[in-house]
Amino acid sequence: MKEPTVLPTYQAKDFKSDLKPIWCPGCGDFGVVQAIYRALAAIGRAPHDIAFVSGIGCSSRIPGYTTAYGFNSVHGRALPIAQGIKLANPDLLVLVAGGDGDGFSIGGGHVPHAIRRNLDLTYIVMDNQIYGLTKGQLSPTSPKGLHTVTSGLGSLEEPVNPLLYTLAYGAGFVAQGTPADMAGLAEIIEEAIRFPGFAFVNVQSPCVTFGEDDQQVKAHRAAMKPLKSIGHDQTSRIAAMDLAQQYGQSLHTGVFYRNPAPAPTYDAQVRERQQAMAEKAVPRERILDMFVQK
Amino acid sequence: MAQTRERPKPVLHPDFCKGCGRCIESCPKHCIEAGTEIDGATGLIPVQLRLDSCNGCSLCLEACPEPYGLDHESPEPRSSEPPHIPGTENLVAIAAKRRVAETIPDVRVPMPALRPLVVKGTYASAIGALLAGCRHFFGYPITPSTDGAELMAKLLPELEGHFVQAVSEVATINHMYGTGGAGLRCMTFTSSPGFSLMLEGLSYMIGAEIPGVVVDVMRAGPGLGNIGPEQGDIKIACRGPGHGTTQTLVYAPATPQEMLDLTMLAFDKAFEYRNPVLVACDGYLGQITGRVDLPSYMVKPGLPDWAVWGDAAHRPNLHTSILLNEADQEAHNVKLLAKYAQMIDREQRADLYETDDADVLIVAANTPARTAKGAVAVLRKQGIKAGLFRPITLWPFPIRALAPVLPRMKAVVVVEASNGQLEDELRLALSHADLHAPPPITNVRHYGGIMPQMNEIVACARAAHEATPSRRTRETEAEAAARVLS
Repeated sequence: MKEPTVLPTYQAKDFKSDLKPIWCPGCGDFGVVQAIYRALAAIGRAPHDIAFVSGIGCSSRIPGYTTAYGFNSVHGRALPIAQGIKLANPDLLVLVAGGDGDGFSIGGGHVPHAIRRNLDLTYIVMDNQIYGLTKGQLSPTSPKGLHTVTSGLGSLEEPVNPLLYTLAYGAGFVAQGTPADMAGLAEIIEEAIRFPGFAFVNVQSPCVTFGEDDQQVKAHRAAMKPLKSIGHDQTSRIAAMDLAQQYGQSLHTGVFYRNPAPAPTYDAQVRERQQAMAEKAVPRERILDMFVQK
Repeated sequence: MAQTRERPKPVLHPDFCKGCGRCIESCPKHCIEAGTEIDGATGLIPVQLRLDSCNGCSLCLEACPEPYGLDHESPEPRSSEPPHIPGTENLVAIAAKRRVAETIPDVRVPMPALRPLVVKGTYASAIGALLAGCRHFFGYPITPSTDGAELMAKLLPELEGHFVQAVSEVATINHMYGTGGAGLRCMTFTSSPGFSLMLEGLSYMIGAEIPGVVVDVMRAGPGLGNIGPEQGDIKIACRGPGHGTTQTLVYAPATPQEMLDLTMLAFDKAFEYRNPVLVACDGYLGQITGRVDLPSYMVKPGLPDWAVWGDAAHRPNLHTSILLNEADQEAHNVKLLAKYAQMIDREQRADLYETDDADVLIVAANTPARTAKGAVAVLRKQGIKAGLFRPITLWPFPIRALAPVLPRMKAVVVVEASNGQLEDELRLALSHADLHAPPPITNVRHYGGIMPQMNEIVACARAAHEATPSRRTRETEAEAAARVLS
C-alpha cells in the first residue's frame, strides 16, 4: 500500500456525508457508522482512497452515509463486487458491509471463497438476527424458535454462527463488536482494516423495530464480555473457535483471532508474479509475432 | 418421458466362448465363473454368468478377446414377449415384477358458499394457491411480494403443508424444481430482482418439464430500482424465461379476484402442460385490497405418473434437462415447441370491454387496465367510442380475440407501466398473425414506479382519434403498394 509522504490528518467528521440516515431511531447501525468514521480517521486515508461496498438491506445503506466512494450493490453480492474493485485498483482501501441476510443467506456462498482468495478486504456484517427492510422475517442468524412473520410457530432451523464459519473457512482476522461499546468497535474496525488480508468483523447491531428486547443496545451494554478482560489468546484459532461457539449465548467483543503470521494476500501474490514475469517478458510489440510468424 | 436407463448386462454366446477366463478376472462383482459343461457344438468349456449382482459395468466385454463371446444384452427384451436369452432369466423376472406408475387424477372437492373476502392481491393469490391444493411454498423476502409469503407461512403449518424461507431466490426456484419433480404443487412469490435470479432454475424446470407457479409482483427497475409498481418483466416473462428454448404461460391479473382465479388456473395449467406458469402482476395489484369471491370448489391434487415419487412404481422416472446427444436435444426441443404451439392454440385469454362499437382501442393489462377502463367511460361521455382490450395471457398474446375487432378501429393506444414491453408483444403477435396494416398505434407509458394516469390515457386516445382519418378512407399498405406499382 502506498502511503503518502506527508500524512494529512483526518477527523471522524470528514467521513460523514451530508445524507441523513433513514434508519429507525435507536437502530444499532447508527453506532456502527460512527465507529467506522472514527476508525477511518485513525487510519488516516483520504475519503477518495476508500471504496465502501455494500449489498442490500437496512445496513447496506451505510456507504451513503460516508464520504468514501460508495457502492450499494446487489443483494448478497457485495463481496464479489468488492473483489472486482480491489483487483481493478489494489491501492484502494476496500470496505465491505452488509447485513446477516446479505452475508450469510443469499450471499453465504461467496464468503468462504472471498476468505480463501484472501484479497485485502474488511468485511463488516451488521448482524441483527432479522430481516428488517422487508419487515421482520427470519434471518440466517435468527435463534432457533424465534417467532417472526415467516415463522409463526417458531423457527425450526439452527442459526448460522458467523464467527465459527469464518474461522473455519480460514479467515486471518475475526472479531466481534457491538455499538453499545462504540470506542471498542472503532478500535476493532481499525485493527481489521490494518490487518493485511481478509478481515471479518461481526457487529451485533440491534434491530429496534423487529428485534428482541434482550438484543437492544442497553441489554448489550450489560451483557457484553470484552475478550481483553478474560485474557483470550487471539493468536490461537482453536481458542477463538472455542469462544465462538458461545455465539448467541454470550456476547464476547473484541478480536477472536488474528493470524500472527498473515498469509500473503492475493493482490500481493499477483504483483509478485507480475514482477517475476516482467523480468523475462517478451517486449509487448513482439507478442503478436509469437502467434503469427510460424 | 425421460427414464433411467439400465446399463446393458452381458450376454454369453456359448458358441463363441473359448473359456479363456479373462472375463472372470475382470469382473469386479464376481458374476462370472469358470464353466463345467462342455459345449456340444465347439467342444470347449464356456464360462458361466451369474448376473444377480451385475451392474452392467461392461468390463468383461472389454476383456473378452472373442468378437462375439460376450455381447451386450439386446435392448428389446422388455417387449410384450421377452425373447429367451440364456443367463438373463433373473432380469426378465425383475422386469415383470415392476409395477407401472399410473396417474392419480386431481379431484375437485365442492366448497360451501362462503362470504366473499376483502383481501389484498398477494393474499388472494396465496388463498388461490391453497385452494388449488398447493401445500409447499418456498420464498425469499422481497417487497412488495412478501405479504403473500407471510400468509402462506401462517396458514401452511395448519394445513399439514410446508413453508420454507429459502436462503435466496436461486435456492427458491431449485426447491421448486425438487418439489415439482416429485409431482407436487408448489409455488413462490417474488418481485422483479428476485425473478431475475430465478431464470436459470426456470429454464431447467422447463427443460425437464417440471410444473410450478411463480407469482411475480413486478416492481420498478432496472437493477434494484424501487418498490413501486411497474410492468417491466413482461419481456423476460414472455420472450424467454431463462436461457434456451423456453416459454411459459404468463397470466396478467387485473384485480384481487383474478389473482385468486388465475393462480388456481395456473396450477392446473402447470400440470396439464408439465411446465412452469407465471402470474405477472404489478406492485399495486399485489398490495391493493378488493372483494374476492371464493370458488365453488377446491382441488385435492393427485399424483402424475411421471413424478419421481420414491416408490417402486415411479422408479424408472427421471427428470433431467441434459441431453448430450445433439439429435436427442433437438428432438426434445421440437417436442417442447409442439407443446408451446399447443399453448398458443388453446390458452389465449382476453377480456374485451365496450369494443363492439368502438373505434379507438385501448390495450392494457394489470392495474393500468383498470385505469384504462375508467378512461373508456370518460371518453364515451365525451362522445368518443373507446373500448378496452385486456390480454389476460401476456404469452400467448390473445391475438385471436383481437384480430376480429381490429379492422373497426381507427387507432390503438397501448397503456403500460413499462418501456413498451406490452406493445412489443402486441406488435409481435400482429406480425405473426400476418396483420401487417394495423391502425396507428400510440402509447401512454410510465416507468420507475409511476402508473399511467387516466387523464393521460383520455388525452392520448382523444388525440389519436382526432388525428386519424376514419378506417374506410385510410389506405391500407396493400392498397398503397398497388397504387405505387400501377
